Parts: sequence; structure tokens; C-alpha cells
Amino acid sequence: MSAILGNAMVITAALPLVLGIVLALLSRFVVPASSPVRILFWAALVLFFYWDTLGPPVMPPVAASQKLIYLAIAGIVIGFLPERILAGRTAGVLTAAALATAFLWLGWRRIAAGSLDLQMIAALAVALLVLIGAAMLMAQPSSPSPAAEEPFLAPAAALSLSLSGAIVSVLGASIVTGQLLGSLAALTGGWCLVQYLTTLRGGAVSTLSKGVEFLLLFAAATVLIQVALLAPKANPLALVLSSLPPLAAVLMRGRLQGLLPGARPLRPLVAGVVIAVPAILAIVTAIVWAPHGAALGFS
Amino acid sequence: MRTKRLIAALAFAGASMLASAAYADNYEIDGQHAWVTFTIKHGIYGIAHGQFDAVKGAIVMDKADVTRSSVKAELDVGSIHTAFDQRDSDLKGPDFFNAAEFPTISFESTKVEKVDDKTGKVTGNLTISGVSKEITLDVKLLNEAPAPWDATLTKAAFSATGKVSTADFPMAKAADGFGLGPEVDIAIDLEAIKK
Repeated sequence: MSAILGNAMVITAALPLVLGIVLALLSRFVVPASSPVRILFWAALVLFFYWDTLGPPVMPPVAASQKLIYLAIAGIVIGFLPERILAGRTAGVLTAAALATAFLWLGWRRIAAGSLDLQMIAALAVALLVLIGAAMLMAQPSSPSPAAEEPFLAPAAALSLSLSGAIVSVLGASIVTGQLLGSLAALTGGWCLVQYLTTLRGGAVSTLSKGVEFLLLFAAATVLIQVALLAPKANPLALVLSSLPPLAAVLMRGRLQGLLPGARPLRPLVAGVVIAVPAILAIVTAIVWAPHGAALGFS
Repeated sequence: MRTKRLIAALAFAGASMLASAAYADNYEIDGQHAWVTFTIKHGIYGIAHGQFDAVKGAIVMDKADVTRSSVKAELDVGSIHTAFDQRDSDLKGPDFFNAAEFPTISFESTKVEKVDDKTGKVTGNLTISGVSKEITLDVKLLNEAPAPWDATLTKAAFSATGKVSTADFPMAKAADGFGLGPEVDIAIDLEAIKK
């Protein structure tokens, strides 16, 4: 058992995927939609994967990688705020402020060094795009009668961002953050999978609370910002593309809505694919222009 | 007359002792002749080697009282070199030495002990990725002499060895995950130019 759990692929992909499925099933059959226990489950799992990949919290945190778990805890605390605060404009402002603070905290050594090299420009672009995208997404009000794709928009954005971020990170010589983003992607992916199967069977999708949406977006965004700031070989274009899924998710309720088909079961799928387009481009870019070829793992 | 000579001899001896006690030579590490190397267990297989190519620093050596000597050195993390580009990138990344956030590794001595005329122990703080840990290096003075091609240039050569653990620094999780270390053997050979 310990050998299985010690396998990086199990911890990074299989275990979070299964746990995401379990969470979705619990949300569907056991835990009521309004219960704060839901975010407690998500928070516990997110913290478990942070702890497993980055190690226990260090006090005081010195390196940016040591600050990530504290940012996750901050994300959990914000996620527990009442739904009325995490809705509308307040949620957007709160998300923007939280991500701007996270960027400054993670990157202050690089900012203080004053070097505006290509990596730093990419990090600034990533932070800005992910901040705008996540803030706008969080600010979007829930519809009284949501379309089939609506419950999937934020999780699909978090999933796409995490997945492309994971690959860009590993190919950019930051393996641990790649594992962490991979775990977040698989966790969210497990949830999305069950919800989509429910949609296909004509059932009602169990919507994520605004708190969980914030937590998933904030966690993925802060880890991607760290990759952009510190991974020495991460492809700048791939990083910028990885930061775009939240903006694509925003556009799915606006200009890109025309792309969605009328058939209800297809709407979440098409929305997911459109949200994933920048992430797919990011992965292709990172692989094609990988500094040492697309070899994954420590050499 | 005898008394005067005795006083003069004592005064000379005293002055010589005082002069030698206050006398400490300053050296600058010669970056072109400095090899800071390390070896670490690589997974279940062999031993991996690496070195830092860019080294700078200063040495103060008090030959009369070695305990008053000191060392300050700095390594450029970006100069890490393991004979394989991809591994170098991995090591410069945030999982290991985190060069973008912490571009240098520093060592500053806090205590120097004499073992014999040519060897000693230098204890100091090694700072990697913003975390300082006390380590002790076994140091040997190999030679000090004017350069054969330039009598005005005097160089001293030192050899040092020591051990650190990856567990003491923010690379612990990644090193453990990849089966590296945790013990790292350090071997330093360097020449220093007398100022």
C-alpha cells in the first residue's frame, strides 16, 4: 500500500482523480448543496495535496514555494466566507485583491531585484491575465435558471489552467509545482467527470459553491504565478496561454455563447473544449519548444 | 650595559610578538582557480557530481593566531554545472537551488580552530535559498608562495571538505522525491591572491 501511495503518478493523478469522483458523488447523494461541509471536504483535499507535494508548512516561510501552502490556507479562509460576499462585484474585487497580494508576496524578491527580463514580463502578464479572468469569473452572478454549461465554467477554467500549468511547469524545470498543479487538475477533473455523466443521463448537476470555485481558481492561479516567476525554463508564451482559461470561461457567458449547441448534453462539453483551447495551445507550445525536448522528470 | 641589552632584547621580542599577533593577511579568492564541487547519492544507483563555476570571496588568515582568521565566500547558483544541461536547469529551478529567487549561496565563518600547522576546522553559516545552517569544513593549507613568474604575486592554496544535508534546506522535498542524498559531500580546492 505504501509503495502504491509513494508512486508519484498515483499521488499526482490517480488518487486526486478518484477523490474528485468521490467528492462529486458525496455532493450528489450525501451532502446537501447548502452544507458548509462541502467546502470542508475540498479544503481538506487541497491541503493534503499541497502538504504531500511541498512538505509541511515552514514558519516563517522564506522561499516562494514555502508560501504556497499559506496562500492555499488563505484561499480556504476566503472560501468559507458567506455566499453573499462571494457573489457579484464584491467577489470580483476580493479575487483581484487576493491574487494581486499573492503575486507581490510570491515575487517580492524578484520585484526587489528590479530585473525586467523576459521571464519577469511573462510572470507579470500571467498574474494580470489570471487576475482579470478569475475576478470577472467570480463576479458573474449565478443565473436563477442556469444553462447546462454554467456549473462547469469555473471548474473547467480551474482544470484547464491547472493541467496546462502542470505540463508547462514540469517542462520548465519546476517539477514539484507541476505535480501540485497535476493533482489539482485531476481532483477537479474527477468532479467534472461525474457531473458531466449526470448531465448526459439528464440529471441535475450539483453546483460548486462560490467558495469552492474561488478556492480552486485561487490555488491553481497562485501556483501558476509561482511557476511563471521562478521556473527557469518555462516557456513564456505557454505560461501566458495557460493563464487564459478563466477569461475564456467568462466569454462563454458572453461573446462566445453563440458557439454553444442547442442540445443540452453537448453544451458543457463544447464549453469545456472552448475553455481548454488556450490550455491546449499552451501544452503544444511547451512541448514543441521544450528546452530539452519533451522529457519529463528529473534527469 | 648588560641591563640595557636585555631591555632592548625584551622590547624587540615583545614588539615582534605584538606585531605578529596583530598581523593578518588578506586574500581574495581567485575565481579562475576555485573548484567548489559536490557529490550526492543518485537514486538507487551511483554518485552524481557537480560544481559551481563562479566563486568569489575573501579570506583573512592570521598565522600567529589562526582563531582570528575568517572566510566569506559566495557562489553563483546560475553557474552550477553537472555535465548535463537539463539537470543543470532542474537544479537551478525552484525545486532545488531556486536561482531566480536566491541567485547566490553564501558561506560566512563564525569560528576557526587550529588542528595543526597546516590544518584547521572552519565553522560557519551556509545559506542556501534563504535558509542558513551551521556547517564545519575541514581545511588544509596546501601552500603559500610567490608565483614563479611574478614575485609580487603571492598565492595561498587551500583544500576543504565538509558535509551538508538536503534535509536542512528548502530542496528537501524534491531531493527526497527523486532519491537524492540526503547527504551531500562537499570538496573545495581554491587558490587565493594575497592583497
